[in-house]
Amino acid sequence: MRVTKKITRGVLCGLVLAAFPAMCMAQDAPAISLRPFAAVAFERFTATDTFSSVFGKDTGWFYGGGLQVTFHDRIYAELSASRFTEDGNRVFRDSSGRVFNLGIPLTATVTPFELVGGYRFHPARHHWLVPYAGAGVGWYRYQETSAFANPGDDIDTRHAGFVAHGGAEFRVHRWVGLAADLQYTHVTGILGTSGISADVNEIDLGGLAGRFTIVIGK
Amino acid sequence: MRRSRGFLLVLFTILISGALIVRGQNVSPLVFLNVGLPAVNEDTIPDETHRPQSPEAIRRAGIHAANDLVRVGRTGRAFSAGRVIVKFSDAMNDAARDTAVKSVVANGVRQPRAASADFDVVTMDPAQDGEAIAAAFRARSDVEYAQASYRVHSTLVPNDPHYADLQWNLPVLNLESAWDIQPQAGSAITVAVVDTGMAFQTGTLEVNIGAFVDETGASHPPLGHQLIPYAAAEQLVGAGHANRIVAPHDFVWNNGGPPLDFDGHGTHVSGTIGQLTNDGIGTAGVAFNVKLMPVKVLASDWDVAFGGAPFVGGTDEQVALGVRYAADNGANVINMSLGSSGPPNCGTKPNQDGCSPAVESAIRYAVGKGCFIVIAGGNEAEVNDPDFGLNPTSVLAEIASRVSGAVSVAAVDRNIVGQTGTRRCTGEASLPDCHAYYSSFGPYIELSAPGGSERIFGRNGYIWQQTFDFNYTDTFLPNISPTYGPPRFDVLAYVGYIGTSMATPHVSGIAAMLMQQGIKDPAAIEEALEKFAIDLGPAGRDDKYGFGLVDARAVLRGLGLAR
Repeated sequence: MRVTKKITRGVLCGLVLAAFPAMCMAQDAPAISLRPFAAVAFERFTATDTFSSVFGKDTGWFYGGGLQVTFHDRIYAELSASRFTEDGNRVFRDSSGRVFNLGIPLTATVTPFELVGGYRFHPARHHWLVPYAGAGVGWYRYQETSAFANPGDDIDTRHAGFVAHGGAEFRVHRWVGLAADLQYTHVTGILGTSGISADVNEIDLGGLAGRFTIVIGK
Repeated sequence: MRRSRGFLLVLFTILISGALIVRGQNVSPLVFLNVGLPAVNEDTIPDETHRPQSPEAIRRAGIHAANDLVRVGRTGRAFSAGRVIVKFSDAMNDAARDTAVKSVVANGVRQPRAASADFDVVTMDPAQDGEAIAAAFRARSDVEYAQASYRVHSTLVPNDPHYADLQWNLPVLNLESAWDIQPQAGSAITVAVVDTGMAFQTGTLEVNIGAFVDETGASHPPLGHQLIPYAAAEQLVGAGHANRIVAPHDFVWNNGGPPLDFDGHGTHVSGTIGQLTNDGIGTAGVAFNVKLMPVKVLASDWDVAFGGAPFVGGTDEQVALGVRYAADNGANVINMSLGSSGPPNCGTKPNQDGCSPAVESAIRYAVGKGCFIVIAGGNEAEVNDPDFGLNPTSVLAEIASRVSGAVSVAAVDRNIVGQTGTRRCTGEASLPDCHAYYSSFGPYIELSAPGGSERIFGRNGYIWQQTFDFNYTDTFLPNISPTYGPPRFDVLAYVGYIGTSMATPHVSGIAAMLMQQGIKDPAAIEEALEKFAIDLGPAGRDDKYGFGLVDARAVLRGLGLAR
């Protein structure tokens, strides 16, 4: 009976170990932990005039997720993908900053793929709170489509950029953490050569985002 | 046909006689009787109003386009929000289809199927993504296909026969693409044509033709009492379009009568702005659905001969009154295909002789009331004025250059055709100069548009529109009519003109479309027209072309974030 129990426990542990290597490490910090996460970010774009002109606002939601790898719960690497899409209208903006909506539908989509490395801090008194900070690079796909476009009018381009974030993870369950951070991105090469962004001399597609993630894993 | 024409003539004579008897002996210099035969149109083609792409169909499409909720899909193709097209398996009955609809989109409703359809249309909350819903339907094994209700639109190449063979001037402005963007073509906008009047009514003129001296200086004897037929230009106010005329006014006769054109200039200009288009007849116009406000401020030879004006042309007083009148009576755009030479420095010394502060004040007043004003740049590039020298400044155009919300327009010729790219009309062999030889130049020129030229191109270089056949109106010219006699204003033809007068209405029409598209402020309209103009000649603004050739598509389409 005891042997059966031991075998059953061992099989279960093996299965779980195969799925989530970190899970069988009990309370100790695993050497490597894979932690999938889902994220939602509310970003204020650096190109405020550009986005405000076309969408009537300079903010937007990114939805996405990714995978975080932690090493001894200290160093981490994070690969994520997310997506922002918004419908607006083509406009004319005069020299005094007045924006005239021309009623021609436009859709812009930003799809970042980001790779960030960072460090997780462990305050002595609050083991349920893990501050972290990291920085890395991103590849940003930008698509802009609008009605009555001729060949070459629409855009589908990719450029690299920089990303940095810092925040804290709150352990709400043994396997679940909620994290909130501020993320800054800087992406040049997409805005600023044409369109409203050129008119207002804004070249950065990035911005400052408040990001919330739900992390599965230890 | 001949019989009916003869009957109409008899009826016409009886009616005129009756009208004269009623009027008695007190004949004023000019009386317009609303009795007359329709125009004799010299250029007739078969009626095509019931064919596909008829103007009615295009206009309906335009109205629908304005009201639709439009989304742009991931591919960039626009679709109508709130509906998807689904082709269910033929084996499915209605109940099964309804169940399938609810399983994909909870608030979806399968609409009654049209008799000719083999598919269903499912309506839903417009906020939902039509392409995503269509993809969800496609994922079902009992659905053959599903798609968003993608928008289609006409690519309007007008079927007016002379659009193809004579009107080089409209495609160079990218108007076909502009009409795709705005098929309504300015239907909510009123353009005032401050000019020689307009042929917008049909009737009979009862006049007393006195002795007069025409603008060439030749004297002509009196012809006495005459009844002269007058007809509306059907390509301006044809069947169903009479109500496009708004608040007409005559500042030449000032008798409360209609501002009738006795020259043809104002009618031609009006045609470029708003000639009925895609009706299979004649020529096309730029903003072919605009409302037109004829404001007569310029007298022609016949206005003088009829006793209504002391001389040919107009005065600053009449122009100022006309502009103020247009602004006060709802004009959105004011076309001024007129001008006068004067000193070059009225901006710095406005009260010197030769300047027109009354007109400037009127222009500023009108712009202040929301009117966008377009003024001809002048035709004096080769004129050596005794007072102001070669290429004298056009004082009214110069005013436009100082008023934000008013523009002056130079003319380009047919050399512009076929030139593409960012460099045009530079004078190189492959990019020939396209500045019309007569078009005045100077620092006050702001924009360019086709004004035509007979040099090099002959008749193919003109700007063509429907107006009076001068063979029937200019009877005082010996080369037209060997014996001087009364004119007829009921014979209309497609006539080629050249001048900055012809360039100006192109800009007015595009400005009207731009206003309808969403830019109401005159200063912003000017800024937009100049910003999106196609640079001509040397890089940047220059004195011949100003900021360049107006680009209807670019200015109507505006800008996105990155393009």
